[in-house]
Amino acid sequence: MSEVEVLKPLKTWSHLAKNRRKPSEYEIVSANLLYNTRDPNAPYELDPDMSMNRWYKKYRDGGPFQHDDWNAFRDPDELVYRTYNMVQDGQETYVFGLFDQFNEREHDKALEPTWGGTLARLYTPGRYLFHTLQMASAYVQQMSPASTITNCAAFQAADSLRWMSHAAYRAKELSLTFPDKGFGTGERTYWENDPAWQGFRELMEKVLIAWDWGEAFVALNLVAKPAVEEAVLRKLGQSARHNGDTLLGMLTDAQLLDADRHRRWATALVKMALGKAGNAEAIKGWITKWEPLADKAIDAFCAALSDVPNAAADAKAATRAFRRTLGF
Amino acid sequence: MATLGRLDWYDIARTTNWTPKYVQEDELFPPEMSGSMGLPLSAWETYDEPYKQTYPEYVKVQREKDAGAYSVKAALERSKMFENADPGWLSVMKAHYGAIARAEYSASTAEARMVRFGKAPGMRNMATLGMMDEIRHGQIQLYFPHEHCSKDRQFDWAHKAYDTNEWGAIAARHMFDDMMTTRSAVGVALMLTFAFETGFTNMQFLGLAADAAEAGDWTFSNLISSIQTDESRHAQIGGPLVSLLVANGKKAEAQKMVDIAIWRAWKLFSVLTGPIMDYYTPLEHRKQSFKEFMQEWIVTQFERALIDLGLDKPWYWDQFMAEIDTQHHGMHLGVWFWRPTVWWNPAAGVTPEEREWLEEKYPGWNATWGKCWDVITDNLLAGKRELSYPETLPVVCNMCQLPINTTPGPAWKVRDHALDYKGRTYHFCSDGCQWCFEQEPERYAGHLSLIDRFLAGMIQPMNLGGGLQYMGLAPGEIGDDAHNYAWVEKVRAVREKAKAA
Repeated sequence: MSEVEVLKPLKTWSHLAKNRRKPSEYEIVSANLLYNTRDPNAPYELDPDMSMNRWYKKYRDGGPFQHDDWNAFRDPDELVYRTYNMVQDGQETYVFGLFDQFNEREHDKALEPTWGGTLARLYTPGRYLFHTLQMASAYVQQMSPASTITNCAAFQAADSLRWMSHAAYRAKELSLTFPDKGFGTGERTYWENDPAWQGFRELMEKVLIAWDWGEAFVALNLVAKPAVEEAVLRKLGQSARHNGDTLLGMLTDAQLLDADRHRRWATALVKMALGKAGNAEAIKGWITKWEPLADKAIDAFCAALSDVPNAAADAKAATRAFRRTLGF
Repeated sequence: MATLGRLDWYDIARTTNWTPKYVQEDELFPPEMSGSMGLPLSAWETYDEPYKQTYPEYVKVQREKDAGAYSVKAALERSKMFENADPGWLSVMKAHYGAIARAEYSASTAEARMVRFGKAPGMRNMATLGMMDEIRHGQIQLYFPHEHCSKDRQFDWAHKAYDTNEWGAIAARHMFDDMMTTRSAVGVALMLTFAFETGFTNMQFLGLAADAAEAGDWTFSNLISSIQTDESRHAQIGGPLVSLLVANGKKAEAQKMVDIAIWRAWKLFSVLTGPIMDYYTPLEHRKQSFKEFMQEWIVTQFERALIDLGLDKPWYWDQFMAEIDTQHHGMHLGVWFWRPTVWWNPAAGVTPEEREWLEEKYPGWNATWGKCWDVITDNLLAGKRELSYPETLPVVCNMCQLPINTTPGPAWKVRDHALDYKGRTYHFCSDGCQWCFEQEPERYAGHLSLIDRFLAGMIQPMNLGGGLQYMGLAPGEIGDDAHNYAWVEKVRAVREKAKAA
């Protein structure tokens, strides 16, 4: 121990110093934050065989979706908590500005009662669906093997809460104009019984128990969410415009901005994963497994959108177009 | 106003439970992940969170909070706080960031468990905000210390600590993993949000903020007060759950989890927060003693919260009350003595004036802990610093992972609480730690403490050098006395003055 090296201060965290360039705020506060990947035998610092350690070893580490360095993942939007709130506060100011202006102009009173009934059946029950996206995203959050992935999933869960909140807000507001349509009270019945929702209900109940993290990510982000976004946001938005409901069309457009961001990170993650042999087959297998359920969900929902021509076919084609950009 | 008020639609946004049809309820909410204790979904729908916030309110308020915290930091970046701060204060920051930042980030995972597996819709929504909060706390508490990396290698540990086998990091992971990341949704709500955040984070974030303000570190003071405003919201996830469980005949189950969490949190705070408040913070900036903070936040406020919600004081309360007078002094002595094994420079905090303060706050300190410090001080005065360094490692507890210690002196009653379980002997520091183990041995039995690893030959060479290497500590980052022993000269001056008189 004669020539002991004395470590000198570095310009950044030692794990980033190796990169030999100035790290961004995003990297400083987002990269390599999970410590549950340090010991493959015991993700958590307790008995290696206690139940939660077994859960992580089986469903996170033991599945077919593998990479040598998940921590290399970077969110293409490089969102951090601070900037997420800036972006979404701006977005919410916009949406609540719409609510305000359309309310001022008595937008809802100008809607046909039949369209009011359609909203009670096909829009506001969507809060149950959006909530399942919130729950499923939170599962991907807790099971992801790198903090840069975890953050994207957390923001996605928060965005799902956002969509759900809009549906709750509108349920209340619409109930004031259409007191007899069951707004704010009848959504659960529609969600549980109406044929239009049963496809999505089945899809999401099953996605929610896809425990393998790779499968959970693929089923949610590559199959289920695109189906929801194309059918329940985009096609319903088109139907709304067709029925003089400019507000809902603008609202779903605003929500689709979140969806586009979710697809960007999902795309980046898939692209990175494809660098490792075996992942393409795993992803393909999961898409093949989940696509029929998603298609069935789109068919059932879009069948109710009688005034949007080719709604189901367009929506299904759009989900496939997205997956094609990933090479699937 | 042409927009609705929050309470007009809040209840609709938390009416999201449905009856699963295509999968079974127990598949959707596996009991091991939800911790639902057999209560039906309808029982969970009575859950009513007291702190209500909506998504648009959240992103607005949090944006403003961050704008405040980051602008204070930016404004004070040239204030030379780092250069002018007492070295003891820098140690407070290093210990705090290293022990806290990534644990908070990890708490986002625990919050996500409640989002996915909680059976109460209000809990799932509030935990979504809680998950976001914890990402904030991880990120902001990495961003702030990062600027100090270039000045002091120990600040690297704000990020690095949790990647290592440093003993404090092992202890912190063991505790946080036990009370949050490995628990069900109900376990997280009771142990992390109710027991830990309602009780203990006030100590760390408000108590320490008060000291930081006194020390003139406005950036840190402002930062951790801002964090506490989030904690005080999402900490309220647990309270209504306690009421719900008590009302549904599950008081004993709730009580047990709360008792485990309080005991475990206490032990970690005795080694982290106790020394920070009573020894590292410069004397003139100490707002209150650790014990006084504990009495205010834990004994008075938290004890009342427990009783109000229908729980009892934990069975070990008398032992706990006794320990808030003593335990952290032993932890501090240990941390200072084993100072090469930590990522900060412990301040001894035992100049004559500081000892007077300790004696005033903790009567009997001089006759007990003081005697140990006398030996250390005498060795240092005699120029025998080598005698003040450790040569090996202390015995640590198989639950809290901290050195087993108690008050020295005539009343010395250190004893090993040994337990044989399935052919292995476990050692505990206290009845409380042994009791935690006995509640669910399978959670802990296969874990090896640092000393178990040492004795198993997993740490080579089997000496302090090998230990430091195993802990990821190298020269340039290992701890030493915060004031480079300048305090010893103060003692010498006082003694010489006394001799002359």
